[in-house]
Amino acid sequence: MKHKFQYFSVGLIAGWLCVFGLLSFLVMVVMSFLQHDPDHIALWHFTLQNYVDLFNPIFFTIFLKSFYIAFMVTAACLLLGYPFAYIVSRFPERLQNMALLLLLLPFWTSSVVRAYAMMSLLKTKGLLNTALLSMGLIHEPLQILFTNTAVTIGLIYNLLPFMILPIYVNLERFDVSLIEAAKDLGAKYTTIFRKVIIPLSIPGILGGCALVFLPAMTLFFISDLLGGAKALLLGNLIESQFLMANNWPRGAATSVLLTAIMAIGLLVYKFKSSNKGIHYEAVI
Amino acid sequence: MKRFFCRGGSRAALKKWAWVALSLFCTVAMADDNVVNVFAWSQEVSPKVIRQFQKDTGIRVNFSTFDSNEVLYAKMKASKQAQYDVVEPSSYYITRMARENMIEKLDLSKLSNYKNLNPAFTHPDYDPKGEYSIPWVLGLTGIFVNRKYYPDDKIEKWTDLWSPKYRDSLLLLDDPREVFNVGLLTLGYSPNENNLQHLQKAYQNLVALLPNVRLYNSSSVPSMLIDEDVTIGMAWNADAYKASLQNPDIEFIYPKDKFVIWVDSFVIPRNAPHRDNAYKFLNYVLQAKIAALQVTETFYPTANQAALAYLPAKLANSPVIFPSDAVLKQGYFQTDIDDNALDAISRYWDLLKLQ
Repeated sequence: MKHKFQYFSVGLIAGWLCVFGLLSFLVMVVMSFLQHDPDHIALWHFTLQNYVDLFNPIFFTIFLKSFYIAFMVTAACLLLGYPFAYIVSRFPERLQNMALLLLLLPFWTSSVVRAYAMMSLLKTKGLLNTALLSMGLIHEPLQILFTNTAVTIGLIYNLLPFMILPIYVNLERFDVSLIEAAKDLGAKYTTIFRKVIIPLSIPGILGGCALVFLPAMTLFFISDLLGGAKALLLGNLIESQFLMANNWPRGAATSVLLTAIMAIGLLVYKFKSSNKGIHYEAVI
Repeated sequence: MKRFFCRGGSRAALKKWAWVALSLFCTVAMADDNVVNVFAWSQEVSPKVIRQFQKDTGIRVNFSTFDSNEVLYAKMKASKQAQYDVVEPSSYYITRMARENMIEKLDLSKLSNYKNLNPAFTHPDYDPKGEYSIPWVLGLTGIFVNRKYYPDDKIEKWTDLWSPKYRDSLLLLDDPREVFNVGLLTLGYSPNENNLQHLQKAYQNLVALLPNVRLYNSSSVPSMLIDEDVTIGMAWNADAYKASLQNPDIEFIYPKDKFVIWVDSFVIPRNAPHRDNAYKFLNYVLQAKIAALQVTETFYPTANQAALAYLPAKLANSPVIFPSDAVLKQGYFQTDIDDNALDAISRYWDLLKLQ
């Protein structure tokens, strides 16, 4: 019975990933090589035009903008998330579970609803402005909503847990005896942090960055709601190509390109870290 | 996980479970016949109208909404099998959908309440024989301004919005045609322009407006106006009226350099799965009382002239919702433009949003 259940759950997940992950991605790849046609989804003619179209200054601009925002978001998530993950990983176990529960609690609500909640915090007559005005810290309401700042705040809020969790998992398994050894050898705490803890948590950091960076470029509803529907992210571009311009092949090409960039990034990391792993073991 | 795949003997079992898993994905919801699938502009069909229809007819309404004609068009194109029974495109998309054979000619004999409509709206430019569409809501696009922030500003034309003092403060509707209407009208062109050079000039004109643009939105305009998140920009008359009920500082202006009147109409897609229910729905909403309920709930003007008798005087006499004939003469009806012009607008629209 137990085996059957295991087969079932593995089959279920494998089936899920095949249908909704692999299969839909393959459809996108095929679509990206087809010809655009205004009256149909696509014409069954092989073409590279969709990729050639991506090499124009406008798409380049939005790529850059999107990269910039994603970079800022990733950096901010790292700065906020690393200390959090470190502190939590040093908590007693029961407190750790509690802290993680609290971290994930907001995720029980849909992220679109939370984006609307963020709007009501940031808007002209929102909670933030009302509080700051009544404390006398500002005299004019801050105009945050519908700016890049609002988009960045919204993205950081939504993606922070994806940075914290991989780092926490990494730090939680951290071998404390390494710190003791470093202490015995006379290292100061800052040195230990810099030379022992950070280098050993690099896999967690990179994992977190990968989980934050891609969504930060594509969570189009955040920039729609908080950024005033100005196309700031690659996700907006992909959305508008599918839904507004009705050009599925080019939308597919854009998202395939994005996936390719991410895949290359991960491969480079994997290649480097496997080198490093050997290096590290050799040292031990 | 590897463990499971290596044991040869269990392969058959694995296969079986994989099939179970797969067939679970493919389970199709049981078809429920007494429904009607309605796809309409967000905010344009009052939930009360839908509830009453369900109560009176026992037909369940699967109601979903869209925020732009382009989305409606893309979704209808995306599936070969029609999934909607009633959809609500804007005027100019009806011409396009009729031309591309996406919608059905209506059998008016099934619509006994059709006579309630104002004849001025039953043979419009976009559907000259009135065979395809039932006008549902009308709208006029103009300028709104919050007088608390701009008490003495003289704002009576679209061109006034180009003034540098409105830097980073305008609301533009999130709709390519609407925004290009403003770009074209301020240059003295028709909003139904097919001339690509004129469209390019309109685009350049709009680029000059960009520093003043704070955001694009068309689906939650009233709440933004009420909360003063935006204090000036373009809006539909119904939205501005709705907002002014709660925030009396809001004024709606019919621009002197002309404006656009749009009509959103119900049509039945070709091969609609529940055609009979679609007709029942259309005939139901054509009733004067239901049309009046729709107006009191949403504040959109109606083409249903019999409904006016059921409206409160304050609403029926509001110059914002039912402007005078002299004002109406300044309005253009929006019609379809050719594919090249539409492509140009959609390309320029992407460019505008990217900057």
